[in-house]
Amino acid sequence: MIDSLILQQGSGWRAQAEVFDEIFFVFLALGTLVGTIVVAYTLWNVYKYRDDGSEPKEDFDAPEVGELPTGQGGPKAKKLFLSFGLSAIVVISLVVYAYGILLYVEEGPDADGDNIEITVEGYQYGWDYEYPNGHTETGELIVPADTRIDIAVTSRDVWHNFGSSELRIKSDAIPGDTNTNWFSVSSEEVQAQGGEATYMVECFELCGPGHSAMNGQITVIPQDEWETWYEGTGGNSSNVEGGASVNGAANLNGAAVGGVSA
Amino acid sequence: MSELPPTTSVKRWFVTTNHKDIGILYTITALFFLLFGGVLALLIRMQLWDPTSQILSGLAYNEAVTAHGLIMVFWFLSPFGFGFANYFVPLQIGADDLAFPRLNALSYWMYLFSGILLGISFFQGGTLDAGWTMYAPLNIPMYTPSIGSTGAVLALFMFVVGITASTVNFLTSIHHSRAEGMGIMDMPMFTWSMLATVWMMLFAFAALLAVGLILASDRVLGSVYFSATEGGSLLWGHLFWFFGHPEVYIVFFPALGVMLELFQTFSGRRLVGRKWVIIAICLISVQSFLVWMHHMFLTTINLEIKTLMMATTIGISLPFDLVVFSLIYTLIKGRIQFTTPFLFAFGALLLFILGGITGVFLGAIVLDYEFRGTYWVVAHFHYVMFGGATALFGGAYYWFPKVTGKMYDELLGKLHFVIFFISFNMVYFSMFLGWETPRRVFEYNPEFQIYHQFGTIGAFVLGLSFFIMFYNFAKSYVSGEPAGDNPWDYSRTAEWAVSSPPPLENWPNRPSYASGKLEFVKDYVPDGGPAVKADGDGNAATDGGDTHEEHISEYPYWDKHPSHASIWPFALSLALGIMLLGLSGFSESVTFVLGETVAQTSVEIANPIYPILAVVGLIGLIWTGVKWGLQDFYAPPTEFAERWPFEGVEKVKLGMWFFLASDVIVFGAFLSAAIFVRYNAGWMTWEPLTESLPGLINTFVLITSSFTVILALVAAHRKSRQGLLASLGSTIALGFVFLAIKMWEWNHEIFDRGVTINANAHGDPVQASIYYVTTGLHGIHVVIGLLIAIFLFVRAYQGHYLDDERPIEYFGLYWHFVDIVWVFIFPLFYLF
Repeated sequence: MIDSLILQQGSGWRAQAEVFDEIFFVFLALGTLVGTIVVAYTLWNVYKYRDDGSEPKEDFDAPEVGELPTGQGGPKAKKLFLSFGLSAIVVISLVVYAYGILLYVEEGPDADGDNIEITVEGYQYGWDYEYPNGHTETGELIVPADTRIDIAVTSRDVWHNFGSSELRIKSDAIPGDTNTNWFSVSSEEVQAQGGEATYMVECFELCGPGHSAMNGQITVIPQDEWETWYEGTGGNSSNVEGGASVNGAANLNGAAVGGVSA
Repeated sequence: MSELPPTTSVKRWFVTTNHKDIGILYTITALFFLLFGGVLALLIRMQLWDPTSQILSGLAYNEAVTAHGLIMVFWFLSPFGFGFANYFVPLQIGADDLAFPRLNALSYWMYLFSGILLGISFFQGGTLDAGWTMYAPLNIPMYTPSIGSTGAVLALFMFVVGITASTVNFLTSIHHSRAEGMGIMDMPMFTWSMLATVWMMLFAFAALLAVGLILASDRVLGSVYFSATEGGSLLWGHLFWFFGHPEVYIVFFPALGVMLELFQTFSGRRLVGRKWVIIAICLISVQSFLVWMHHMFLTTINLEIKTLMMATTIGISLPFDLVVFSLIYTLIKGRIQFTTPFLFAFGALLLFILGGITGVFLGAIVLDYEFRGTYWVVAHFHYVMFGGATALFGGAYYWFPKVTGKMYDELLGKLHFVIFFISFNMVYFSMFLGWETPRRVFEYNPEFQIYHQFGTIGAFVLGLSFFIMFYNFAKSYVSGEPAGDNPWDYSRTAEWAVSSPPPLENWPNRPSYASGKLEFVKDYVPDGGPAVKADGDGNAATDGGDTHEEHISEYPYWDKHPSHASIWPFALSLALGIMLLGLSGFSESVTFVLGETVAQTSVEIANPIYPILAVVGLIGLIWTGVKWGLQDFYAPPTEFAERWPFEGVEKVKLGMWFFLASDVIVFGAFLSAAIFVRYNAGWMTWEPLTESLPGLINTFVLITSSFTVILALVAAHRKSRQGLLASLGSTIALGFVFLAIKMWEWNHEIFDRGVTINANAHGDPVQASIYYVTTGLHGIHVVIGLLIAIFLFVRAYQGHYLDDERPIEYFGLYWHFVDIVWVFIFPLFYLF
């Protein structure tokens, strides 16, 4: 909860990937801990109470065929509720914690109106992007660094899912329906990747025989470079055909950016 | 017809209605489908070996993925559990058989023939390739055009029909035929799990039946539900997952039941907190219907609903926690015997713990956003569902001695477990490591190749490990040691109190728990009268004279032997299978060319084979249905039984109520679909397609016909044959009036107003589809009702039903239900 409050102050943006890594780590650590304790405790007891052929203890009361079951109370049931209560506390606190993060992820950072809204349309088998000025791209989405990018995802034919594992974003692309999501990449990250950060886009919902190869790319470039490029588009569509493969899209990128700077 | 041939006769296996025979058939057939689905899994794993090369085309890969999912979930997991349930639930509750033996055989044959239809679909231009979740609109012919895709959808439909019959049967049996003294809380845990399973199935599978019918209508008749952009895709998602989430527990609970039994038997301890485990199981069953949208967190569902679904999802993990802890604490202070069945059950618990923990990850929405559509999900549900099935293999070893009378080979069994458990984790744990791979993709990021290759090796080992089990069972069946009646030291349940294998009618005398433990009591049967209850000492309440010995040695109820054989379940399923095979290619073979009127409409037949199959199947269906109705088949009612909470409800009536409850969900789903799509299209933008007058007249016609059915019942009760014939005849006449008005209405819509199933001159095409399909489903119910009414009419003419008017009463229940449904359809389609 505290984390989420800090997040919402808007002092520094946290990319979805960063948020995901944190919550994933917390769940993984707790899950491993709980799992190890429970499994180790179980294995130890199974070994301890194995039937080694010795005489049964005095309090051992063997069941018989045809007996009606009797409900058991006593110390065992108390222990049952103790364990149940403990696991309930762990699980519920995890949920409360996860809920705080959820609010941040749903809301996103405050962009003061500097965000860019892009429509993403899935089709068999690729992605089209439409910028606010009407310019459209196929296969590759070129966006500026340090900017909140809002995507509105839909589909032209069947149900797809627009997702980038590296950016930790994912949205169902449903025909007749529009889904929203956001992401942003810092300029430090872009610099670290050599002035141009690229992220693979994959389809995460089975959409037909070409589903496996339904890839795209998100390319993030520094803000000034992007603005120059964007002005050059002038609202015209780039006549790109079949840019679904990553390699194809990467080549187009070079061509498009080069065209602007020339 | 009611004489059952010996087990060595092939004929026996086609005519048997005995629950133990059917159980064996289910188990063997399910294992066959395990191999079928397993081979498909290995094809998938081979394709994943190298992300840059492929052995299957994209289409073939999708077919393998789809069929693997469908077969394992529907044709393997559930039927495997139901094999045990068929065999052991009647034994555990002290019944002679299930409530409706012929219906049970019908369920099995529908299951088998639906599986055959699915197999045939591979050769009809390729089977369905839309994934087992069949997301819309990929599931419609525009995107999956092969005839085999329709064949697979119809196979699933047939499977669900069989499942529905089975559900009604088990619910009636468990609520109606428990031995005297066995209260509902006293039932063995396997039976308890099965009871929860069938309660969930009653409602969940009805939703699947509805959505399957809509999909079949889209594919065969050309309606446009799922291609509609007015929420068609989300409609599929909601309806499918409303079924799909309970389905997870439906396949897991039989395995949980086996775990609960085996943990007790092999530790010599009674279940810890038994009452609370039962309460937890009931809670899970109810909660399972409140979490389905967690499969749709990435759709456009709003945050409030998503949060609610997150809470219910995490909430459902809590009762599971309790069950798991109860299992663990049951072992403590026991004398644990590491037999093969226990190893499998214990392994299942460990796998389920891992599956459960990774499931909590998925419950947190932020994590689910990233896990959606990845191998994390694939790994998780294999740990839960296949992990659960691990216990079922334990069940197979546990009950093998009971079913065959022979002991399996313990060493081979343990070897199977070790190889199985290691290779299981190789396959599915490697999926967690490479989780960022999107599921159903074979051109994946080469970074993860090492995990997928490791998994592929594990998959082959896993697959081969089952041949150890098959060899073990085959060898032991032929030459195993005799097992005796009760090979286990600490077994408790009643199946171990009879011989191995148990006799045809299960018990030496009537089983009773009235004294607090199982006893077999002899009941005194006076001449021609019902049995008289024995006293608590297990002696018949008679003077013990020899005069009654004759009756006592006979089956104790009247002088009629229960029947165990009928060919009609097999024949009826065969006929339905042929009809559905015909329907799969119907829309490709037959074209209706609309003219100005009906008379000018022509039919073009491109390929006569499919329409001929459909017609032959339909005729066969009606013929076998009549033969079924005429067969003298006696399934004796249980005289003394625990029936909470349905005391005083007759067996067939109880079954009818359960069936109608599932039909309520079917119609509920259809009406919800109509409301959902209309809401997405903008509620006020739709005007009723039809005028309200014909609908209003039909409302009066149906309500009147309900009244005449009541008159028929009264007449039968008064033994007035003429009155019975007159009121039944009126009902039939009113039914035909209803259909005639309906035909006029449809004719008017199609030829005067240009509204057909996929075209609407006055608005959205999907509105026309919804109108025809919903009123059409109701119309089919009316037609089926009329067929039954005509059957009853002819039998009444021959003088039946005057001594026993119950068939009229049960038909009345159905007919009233159909009329009530109309009362909901009328305002939705005619008024607003």
